[in-house]
Amino acid sequence: MGDILNAGFIQELLLSTVRMATPILIVSLAELYSERAGLVNIGLDGIMALGALVGFLVGYTTGNPYMGILAGAVAGVFVNMIYAFCVINLCAEQIVYGMAINIFAPAVASFIYKIYFGVNSSLIQGPLMEALPIPLLSSIPILGSVLFNHTPIVYFTYLMVPVTAIFLNRTKAGLNFKAVGEFPKAAESLGIHVIRQKYIACIICGALAGIGGAYLTTCYINTYSDGVVSGRGFIALSAVIFGRWMPGGVLIAALLFGFADALQLRMQVASSDTPYQLLAMIPYLCTLFALAFFGIKKAGPKANGKPYLREER
Amino acid sequence: MKLKNILIKILIPIISVIFAFIVGAILIASIGGNAEEAFTYLFKGAFGSSANLGKTLVKATPLIFTGLAATFAYRCGVFNLGAEGQFVVGALISIWVSTSVEGVSGVPLIILSLILGALAGGIWGAIPGILKITRGLNEMIVSIMLNYVAVLFMGYLYTGPLREGSVPQTEAVNDALKLGRIYEGSNVHSGFVIAIIVAAIVYYFLFYTSKGFKLRAVGLNDTASMYNGFSVKKYMLMAFIVSGAIAGIGGSVELHGMQYRLMSGFGTGYGFDGVAIALIGQLNPIGTVLVAYLFAVLRTGANTMQVGTGMPTAVIDIIQALVIVFAVAGSALVNLPNVKQLFINITSKKQEKVVQE
Repeated sequence: MGDILNAGFIQELLLSTVRMATPILIVSLAELYSERAGLVNIGLDGIMALGALVGFLVGYTTGNPYMGILAGAVAGVFVNMIYAFCVINLCAEQIVYGMAINIFAPAVASFIYKIYFGVNSSLIQGPLMEALPIPLLSSIPILGSVLFNHTPIVYFTYLMVPVTAIFLNRTKAGLNFKAVGEFPKAAESLGIHVIRQKYIACIICGALAGIGGAYLTTCYINTYSDGVVSGRGFIALSAVIFGRWMPGGVLIAALLFGFADALQLRMQVASSDTPYQLLAMIPYLCTLFALAFFGIKKAGPKANGKPYLREER
Repeated sequence: MKLKNILIKILIPIISVIFAFIVGAILIASIGGNAEEAFTYLFKGAFGSSANLGKTLVKATPLIFTGLAATFAYRCGVFNLGAEGQFVVGALISIWVSTSVEGVSGVPLIILSLILGALAGGIWGAIPGILKITRGLNEMIVSIMLNYVAVLFMGYLYTGPLREGSVPQTEAVNDALKLGRIYEGSNVHSGFVIAIIVAAIVYYFLFYTSKGFKLRAVGLNDTASMYNGFSVKKYMLMAFIVSGAIAGIGGSVELHGMQYRLMSGFGTGYGFDGVAIALIGQLNPIGTVLVAYLFAVLRTGANTMQVGTGMPTAVIDIIQALVIVFAVAGSALVNLPNVKQLFINITSKKQEKVVQE
């Protein structure tokens, strides 16, 4: 073990931590927006799967990964609108419908892939987004390559953290948005259009989760396969709980889970004689332990997960 | 009133299935296929011969188990998304028992293996339950994480310590430990009978025992149950353990009855399918068995359809997914106040007419 713990290993580890935390972070932010408006969406994994497929497909056909990311966001919004209609207008149970999305969206993704590329196609490779080093900053030793030599999506994701924090805590629109998740009746009586706010939350959630999925197939690896998401949507869900429903907390949680993911990847490379399955367990176990020791019983928006019926007393 | 509710509960899944098939037909037509021909092959594949009928029952067996697991947990208001992990853990214990226990053999060993499989599933299911009642953790996340751990551990076993030869899979259970066939000419094994028995027990427990009543009460309203003096936490934990045990015994049955060995893909997706089946089956054990059978029909038929018409099996996956999307939306729709009022208006008008006459 001693020889793998050198400076190069640590630098690589930090670099992949930032990279692996990105999809988790952006999807946790998606969930954060949704839950702040009182909508628990456990369908993130499904939305990511569809985002990953659409992102890959559009990136492959246009040759432009940026278009892929954009298309992934649009696909995410589309599929999340099904969820939105059913839980907001029909007051379907959010958990149940999230589960329905988790089954539906990956099936659609797998279907489109098989129709487009044929049933027995081998792995097809699309374009991969190139890193965009930030001038000056990226030439700082170690730190520069770890933090400032990434694809633009990574910068966008990390930038979303302060943007979200400012929006939710410092702007009137953001406070209105939060009010919907805390006490929708009071919000409605103050003239906030609760239904509209919830739809806005779903649009943001779908778009960010779709980007998170598309990131996997346009920035991280350049192929699509069923199960590419591998539970990241659920890890993102726990990141929101672990981060106490605050953007800063979510960032820390995502970095922790990203670190666990990066660690197992690096260790696979470094020690090939350890069975990779045991190493691949690390992110999931890490999530479990993090939740078990730091998860809290009651926190988060008060009206989280509850259906909102306008006429109900 | 009660009859009407039952009718609605039966109608929702049926209408959802019809809608899903309509959308599926449109989908097939839109990619240049012939929907009628495809569906003919689908049903021929599922019902065409006694061998195919048997194949369908074999496919339905694990789905019945995971469906029942999901039903049982959700009746108590807890969401067990970890049936896949519990299924795998049950099978893991069984392969260990059947390859390493000496001195016992044949049917007694199968029974031992099934019991231990149920036990292992129960323990695996208890983890999210314990974390929920003591730490207030979201049981869905915990059970999902445990799925990945279980599946990866299985992968470790069949590529490492329990590997047989060059292919990454374990050795098969020996012939004496294979579940018997129900009738000649098909591969329906007695595991299907076990599944039906478990369904009957779950049905009896939920609807005809006081514990089952309390468990459902906790699921409907845990605050009210708490003030009634039911120990809510105890019931939630019990729901998880029993749910896990059902999934675990399902894994054992699948191992002894159908797969005989562990390999890549064992149990994949059965957990989520179980949740879908339970929800479409309106959380009723009988409904669960029927929907599990429907899913199995779709799957066996899908292969025949792919061979016969070249239409990929993924079409059937979509139809399956649409059934759940429609069924859940339908259940929510009939519970909306406006729609409920509409129903009441319709029925009360009829009653008025009767009075006038």
